[in-house]
Amino acid sequence: MRRASIYVALVLLSAVSVVPFLWMLATSVKHGQDIYTKVPNLLPTDRRTGEWAATLENYDYVLGVGGLGTAFVNSVWVCLILVPAKLLVDALAAYAFARIPFPGRDKLFVVLLAGMMVPAITLLIPRLHVTQALGMFDSGWGLIVPNIASVLDIFLLRQFFLTIPAELEEAALIDGAGRMRVFWRIVLPLSKPVLAVVTITSFLFHWNDLVWPLVVLNDPELYTLPLALQQLVASPDGGRAYYIMAGATLAVIPVIAVLLVFQRRILQGIAFTGLKA
Amino acid sequence: MSRGVAVAVLAVTLAACGGQGSGGGPGDGKTLTFWMYQDRTPQAGQVMEKVRKDFEKANPGVTVKLVKIPKDDYNTKLGGAVAGKSAPDAGILDQPLVSKYALDGTIKEVPAGLIDESAYYKGALDTNRAGGKLYGLPADQTTVALFYNKKLVPAPPKSWDELKQVAAQVHQANAEVAGMNVPKGDGYGAWMFPGVVHGAGGQMVDDAGKKVLFDQPQAVEALQLWVDLLKSSPRKITDSDKPFENGLAAMTISGPWDVPTIREQFPDLDFGVAPLPYKSEPAGNIGGEDSVVFSTSKNADLAWKWLAFLTSAENNGAVADAFGGFPAHLKAQVVAGGPEQAAFLEQLKVAHARPAVPQWIQVNDEIIAPALESALTGKATAQQALTDAAAKTRSLLGWNG
Amino acid sequence: MGWLLVTPALVYFVVFLLYPALSALYYSFTDWNLRTDAAWVGLANYADLMFDDVKFPHFWKSVRVTLQYTLIAVPLTMAAALAQALLVNAIRRGQNLFRLLLFLPVVTAEAAVGAIWRWLYDPQYGLINSVLGLVGIPGQNWLNTPELVIPALAFISAWQCGISMIIYLAGLKGIPTTINEAAVIDGAGPWQRFWRVTVPMLRPTTFYLLVTGVIAALQVFGLVYVIFSGNGRSVTGGPEQSGLSYVLHLYLFAFRYDAMGAACAMSFILLVFIMIVTAVQFRFVKQEAA
Repeated sequence: MRRASIYVALVLLSAVSVVPFLWMLATSVKHGQDIYTKVPNLLPTDRRTGEWAATLENYDYVLGVGGLGTAFVNSVWVCLILVPAKLLVDALAAYAFARIPFPGRDKLFVVLLAGMMVPAITLLIPRLHVTQALGMFDSGWGLIVPNIASVLDIFLLRQFFLTIPAELEEAALIDGAGRMRVFWRIVLPLSKPVLAVVTITSFLFHWNDLVWPLVVLNDPELYTLPLALQQLVASPDGGRAYYIMAGATLAVIPVIAVLLVFQRRILQGIAFTGLKA
Repeated sequence: MSRGVAVAVLAVTLAACGGQGSGGGPGDGKTLTFWMYQDRTPQAGQVMEKVRKDFEKANPGVTVKLVKIPKDDYNTKLGGAVAGKSAPDAGILDQPLVSKYALDGTIKEVPAGLIDESAYYKGALDTNRAGGKLYGLPADQTTVALFYNKKLVPAPPKSWDELKQVAAQVHQANAEVAGMNVPKGDGYGAWMFPGVVHGAGGQMVDDAGKKVLFDQPQAVEALQLWVDLLKSSPRKITDSDKPFENGLAAMTISGPWDVPTIREQFPDLDFGVAPLPYKSEPAGNIGGEDSVVFSTSKNADLAWKWLAFLTSAENNGAVADAFGGFPAHLKAQVVAGGPEQAAFLEQLKVAHARPAVPQWIQVNDEIIAPALESALTGKATAQQALTDAAAKTRSLLGWNG
Repeated sequence: MGWLLVTPALVYFVVFLLYPALSALYYSFTDWNLRTDAAWVGLANYADLMFDDVKFPHFWKSVRVTLQYTLIAVPLTMAAALAQALLVNAIRRGQNLFRLLLFLPVVTAEAAVGAIWRWLYDPQYGLINSVLGLVGIPGQNWLNTPELVIPALAFISAWQCGISMIIYLAGLKGIPTTINEAAVIDGAGPWQRFWRVTVPMLRPTTFYLLVTGVIAALQVFGLVYVIFSGNGRSVTGGPEQSGLSYVLHLYLFAFRYDAMGAACAMSFILLVFIMIVTAVQFRFVKQEAA
């Protein structure tokens, strides 16, 4: 009885999560004139006859004219390079902050944390200046390099590294292994869960980031998915729900794929991160 | 491990070399970069593509690069680009921004002899002036008019009284249908408001005499009209998505850009377009896109040539249609459309430009819009709301009148 | 060696965080419209923001809106996350499935979130009013009634509580089963176990979510932007500025009203405020622990 009521509650809560999602899917395969119905309709049926009337035309449009095809490829490329590179930069720094004493280390760490709280929107223009000075404006590098590290990720990784028993590393160091070897062979393999968390959160962030690509890119050939999607949303004719939803559905597919791959690791990872500070 | 480090090292090296930015800025050889709003429709995209190719054919060796940006994000992006000295060669510029950009030297003055000024609609051309000088060419012009549902409104109202009467009748006949989708106290509503004020013979400001006039009786009456209309047009109905298109509001105010969209998405809707009802004189708002050349352009001559090409008698008809408006060149052919166009053209003849006050966008959004809303929600009378807003505007602009 | 490993991150930090932050700080003391050179005005931006209600008529309104939003959205999101986590943790079969379903809202693109929720909240066609109608509650005009805007926004944020849910779930898994078993032997009912065991054991998790949640809520921007933009309308923050969050207000002055200097000043006011709030939270926790 108790178990049954738990399942009922879960199904209801999941419905709240899933129904908007289903509406997105349904709208993405509807014809324009079938969208507005007095009674909300989660099935793609003809408004007048009530018959099944699904179409893939919307996908056709957004992938071609809408530019989502190109944008999709660009987004995949950016994330494929950026996410691992960022992970490496962050992990190296986090390891040093966790394990290797050097002068000024803890003060530096506090300064980094304070930097995390500056609202990103204010940094936009000065960051753009820097990116231009580095010659990376309107290029793929301009999407990658200005995002190559994250203080929050360094923080999360450091907290996790601190939980790894130091004896493991000390034993290896005494056996003559170098710091980098210890890092590669002992620390990173033990940190898979937290690496998974950082990977997925940074992937989610960059996959969906709109503002930075908007200001740093001019060339439509370089547009990323959120930019292309925004073109559909902010369209001067008011934005057509069926195109927006087709685009949004396309954008969400890779995220779900990544999520399924990393799901178990993420859960393990979060169990340790940041919570033992 | 090397990739991330290599990238970081690269960044440092580049930083050390100092700011010789080369990525895609203006003026690489004979490439011309032109920023515009994104296409309204795929067809509009094809039109622009054809014009671009024609221009390249007429000017061998020249490449025109069209950068299309969502309208909502355009000014954000442009601000960033100008601040970073990476503005395009030329681009579309919102009418009220032209005077601002002109005054601080961000855009170039139109070279003498580029165009014959008398070949353009005066109202549209004037939106490009600042301090008596011309800083851009009007790409198109547009206006808003009254859309009405023919099933609910057999004949469009001409006067304010008729408007109120028709709206009341519609709502009385069916309580689930609103008489009119009354504008709200937001940026868009505040943008439309001056057209109504002019319809009562008033005006928002006298920018030459530095006087705020929207606390005068004409403006108060205009706002009172909207307040009165709400009685037969509950917001619970009109706040729905696309109330007019879905047949929930018998009338609305919108522009020519909406006509093809409605036809396509709501083929069953039988609607017409008429000039805005007025009290004492027909009036409306002028809107549209201006095109300018940025001071940082290294291809200014070519850029002006491109703008002249866009606004020429041959091309402006198609270009303006692609932008969702009407040609600004007197001789350009209006692209054939439905009967609605007559109403818009009629309206354009009596349309007024926005006040040429550099802070107008801020006044519009931050002062007038909230004032309209406070009257529309009954928190203040129309007079109180506008008196208060006018006082704030005077204070912000440093005007006495 | 330590410095060597930190170097890439440090270079990044200096170039893309510290330098931009310092130049923003400098701009906060200037009058700057992005196009011309910034002109030094000292503390004028800060003073005007707080005291000049002609130049900045909605500054304090945006502060109130943001505080209200934070006070409603953060607890609501955390409660939703905890409830979901407890339920998922209580079942054996289908954990993976439900976890995935409950996580879906997080992965939805922000642009789609705006469109989806405008539709759900629609006074005529919206699903929310339809569902409320089934239980006899009259439909509301959610996004156009000033008093309802913040709760409506907070509800969307609670809908997207998936990450917090996973974090809570991880916290729950970290509670040793022996403690619960001991409590059962002592005769504690489910309710008592929740308050006596689960809640105290989750304290670090709750604290982490509270601190990061408050920081994020004080900077809420994307959500209000997508909800109130679109349809070619300018974003002025919803009916009677009831959805004008602090960062949206900042954004409008930075990019719409040509006052980047004032916008920078706003961001430093916010920064100081966030630091104070975070410090207070830490102190509070230390006292509790002591």
